[in-house]
Amino acid sequence: VPRQISHGNEALSRGRADPQPVWDLPVRLFHWLIAALVAFSWWSVTYNHTRWHIWSGLTILALLIFRLLWGLVGSSTARFAKFIRGPRTIRLYLCGRWSGVGHNPLGALSVIALLLALAVQVGLGLFAQDEDGIFMGPLAHLVSSDTSDRLREIHGINFYVLLGLIVLHVAAVLFYRLRMGKHLTKPMITGRALLDPGAQPMQPGKSWIALICLALALAITGWVAAGAPPLSPP
Amino acid sequence: MRIAFAAATTTFALLAACGGPQTSQANNASANVSGSAHPPATATASVAGAPVSGADAKAVLNERHEAMERMGKASKAINRQLTGSSPDLAAIRSSANAFYYVSNKGQALFAKGSGPEAGKTGAKPDIWANPQDFAAKLQDFQKAQQAFGTAVNGTDVGAIKASFGNLQKTCKACHDKYRMEMKH
Repeated sequence: VPRQISHGNEALSRGRADPQPVWDLPVRLFHWLIAALVAFSWWSVTYNHTRWHIWSGLTILALLIFRLLWGLVGSSTARFAKFIRGPRTIRLYLCGRWSGVGHNPLGALSVIALLLALAVQVGLGLFAQDEDGIFMGPLAHLVSSDTSDRLREIHGINFYVLLGLIVLHVAAVLFYRLRMGKHLTKPMITGRALLDPGAQPMQPGKSWIALICLALALAITGWVAAGAPPLSPP
Repeated sequence: MRIAFAAATTTFALLAACGGPQTSQANNASANVSGSAHPPATATASVAGAPVSGADAKAVLNERHEAMERMGKASKAINRQLTGSSPDLAAIRSSANAFYYVSNKGQALFAKGSGPEAGKTGAKPDIWANPQDFAAKLQDFQKAQQAFGTAVNGTDVGAIKASFGNLQKTCKACHDKYRMEMKH
């Protein structure tokens, strides 16, 4: 990488001691907003603020669409193609013979499982209606009333799947911290971490591409919130 | 009181007749309320009145549960009609009867003694601990139901939507405070 060569050996050796970019701002914002919105979604539906619950879910939908797009065209550590690895690489990681930045090959499985469970949860919520028939998800009118009720029940069950994955995620973070002395939370806040020897720091994405991803995510979410009307002009 | 009640029932029967054959079930149900020469003791029972017990209490609990289930289904059906571009007014009128039924029965559906002590129910004991507040909330529901009943007999979809929204708010106001999770 030319930039590192131009800094010379001194910069390279110092680079190992200084925290280097690992997570970009979009990834960090996504992570903490999702954490807050999942908590808010639980709270709002538990305490009868169903309207807020629906808006919280729609905000999560926008974030998920953004994350999907950013996982295709974003920074190096955000890209699915970079961090989703096969069983062989996972085995290498477990044997301690893997180095890199961002999601490790095992953690990547947890990330994908969390994103999928969250997408299923939001998807079910869009088609659900509440037990009393007072609120409808924005796409509930596209299915029958009985189907909508059934989807709400599955939405309630899938919450526990999501909760289980969140508990596993937090337990793993604690395990790394307590048993392996590796801090994972701070880099997710500051975006920087000390790198393994020889590991390349994150290659940032472009902010104008991030803005396009955000605009697309908001446009699609707006269309879903409007009940997915036909796209051809009336 | 009895005359007013009979008049209200007759008015409803006349209004319901516009809704076609589907309304006959609720029509009959309301006829049962006023038509019987010797109404059951529970028909005049109230939240704060003399408590019902035994089979009477269980009967009130079951009737309430079924009426609420019907109202929930009706609400979902009306939601779906009102979300669509061309609501079926006859279908909305037919579903509206489920709201009339509960509104008409009023406190009799929440007779003292028909709470958790009578069986499995979603009705919180708080109802009978706060009879005045509960009665006020029930009255809000009844007023909103009457306004909705008037709107559905017209053809102004905007008015139907608005009055139904108000009616649902009164459902929620009561449920948020007085309804608990019930396992089926």
